[in-house]
Amino acid sequence: MKSMFLIAINYMREQRWPIFVLLLWILLLAFLGLVANIPREREELLFIFKQVAVYIVVFSIFFGGSAIYNERKTRRILAVLSKAVGRQQYLSGLVLGVTLASALFCISLGITGSWTLGPGGFPILQVWYLMVDVIAACMLAGTVALMFSTFLNPFFGASATAVMLLGIPAIASRVISPAWLNVLPVYSLTAGVMKASFGMPRGANGFVVALAVAETIAFWVLAARIFAYVDIAVAVE
Amino acid sequence: MAAALEFLGISKEYRSLPGRRRLIALDDFRVSVEAGEIFGFLGPNGAGKSTAMHLAMGFMRASRGGGRMLGYRFGHVKTRRRVGFLSENVALYYRNADFLVRFYGALNGMGGSHLARRAAEVLQLLGLQADAKRNVGKFSRGMLQRVGLAQALVNDPDLLILDEPTSALDPQARVLVRELLLSARAAGKTIFLSSHLLSEVELVCDRVAILNHGKLARVGRTGDLLKGAGQTEIVARNIAAGEFAGARAENGVVRFCVGQDVQRETFERIWKLGGEIVSANPATRSLEEIFLEVTTGNGKAAMPTSANAARGSA
Repeated sequence: MKSMFLIAINYMREQRWPIFVLLLWILLLAFLGLVANIPREREELLFIFKQVAVYIVVFSIFFGGSAIYNERKTRRILAVLSKAVGRQQYLSGLVLGVTLASALFCISLGITGSWTLGPGGFPILQVWYLMVDVIAACMLAGTVALMFSTFLNPFFGASATAVMLLGIPAIASRVISPAWLNVLPVYSLTAGVMKASFGMPRGANGFVVALAVAETIAFWVLAARIFAYVDIAVAVE
Repeated sequence: MAAALEFLGISKEYRSLPGRRRLIALDDFRVSVEAGEIFGFLGPNGAGKSTAMHLAMGFMRASRGGGRMLGYRFGHVKTRRRVGFLSENVALYYRNADFLVRFYGALNGMGGSHLARRAAEVLQLLGLQADAKRNVGKFSRGMLQRVGLAQALVNDPDLLILDEPTSALDPQARVLVRELLLSARAAGKTIFLSSHLLSEVELVCDRVAILNHGKLARVGRTGDLLKGAGQTEIVARNIAAGEFAGARAENGVVRFCVGQDVQRETFERIWKLGGEIVSANPATRSLEEIFLEVTTGNGKAAMPTSANAARGSA
């Protein structure tokens, strides 16, 4: 458990610059909240809020997709896995790191959103429900990307993740039933956030969030199974 | 004595895309490293030394066979708590040295004041106490290698697996590491050491294995390997170099090797020629000579010194 947290915190520190850049977006929203006439420009503020929320999901794919590749490329993974750290533990640390990074954004965005959208009439509780949706989407997207990153480079890993998270639900919802849009609920969770408005501040769908968490665990197990067979000392291409 | 590290007929093949040529990095490799010894692991570049070490650490899976480390199969996670590993190209996070050593110690389950004390101790042992608070990103390669050694030693391991630990070190630091390895052996630790610095290996290793093209080419006690095969090196004066095959004159003496079975006859011949024997010692070979003999497959051409000398004509 301790190793997992150490790896997660270390991962966050390694990603400090992308995290910082994303936090700048939230800072921009906070700045606009300061200078804008909130009741009059509330729609614009909500748009930026939703935009930043989607960025977080996209970034979590990049975080997950590059985590193992970078560690293998720099060969830093060898020193870590030469200790009493199992590969499953190592992956858990990375999943936790991606989740913590996303959670950091979401909490910052939630605070800024409550402060900027609240006075415009958006229920503050709904802001936090939306953040739960975003965290769930980030966890699942990051873990799927991490699974692909065990055997693909970041570009192909991120592409495969995008195809899987958008393609499979789209095909399943057309071929089987629209309810199957939730089969890999990253799209449906993100779309729910994007559809939120002052008229209909949609809250998180508990079932879909639970499904995302369950699938995150399933993909984490799958990633660990695949990663157990990877020759980590072999140079990545 | 129990084996600390055993390679039990392990093989590793690298394959890229289907249909492409496969590369056999390690072929039915069998070696047993006894507890409490320093075992030198030699071989030219690409011989499979690092592959063998990575297999032992569980970084990769064997194509065939397996092995045991401290009594457990390769890759056993908890066993690594008792192992220290240093890779060939040290790659560490950019933090200060003290933090890094504590980070790697914590990954091995260490903690609290014990970890802090041990981290300070190993950094001091490696002459890094003054730089403990500096970011390793600003370190020279030699210093980085010393931090790498510090993280390998922080858990006071029973088995040290070191892949070229002194390749970037200056002579002073090499002596430091050599003394460190010898004191670790005195404390009952086992060291599995890969190096291209053959003189270092000759000085510290109890046994040596030479790997060539993924196959074990030679293994034995260092002293036994260095003994010239039944040869005596004779140094004499007041005789002509041409009297004995392979003899060479240098600094007023004549130096040559003869088989031990003809040693007595050779002495008598020297005296008969009016010469004087300065010394007669069992001929020794350098590890470099043996290494070249094994890896080039042409021992005589590769051996420029005494071991290459022809037998006496007597």
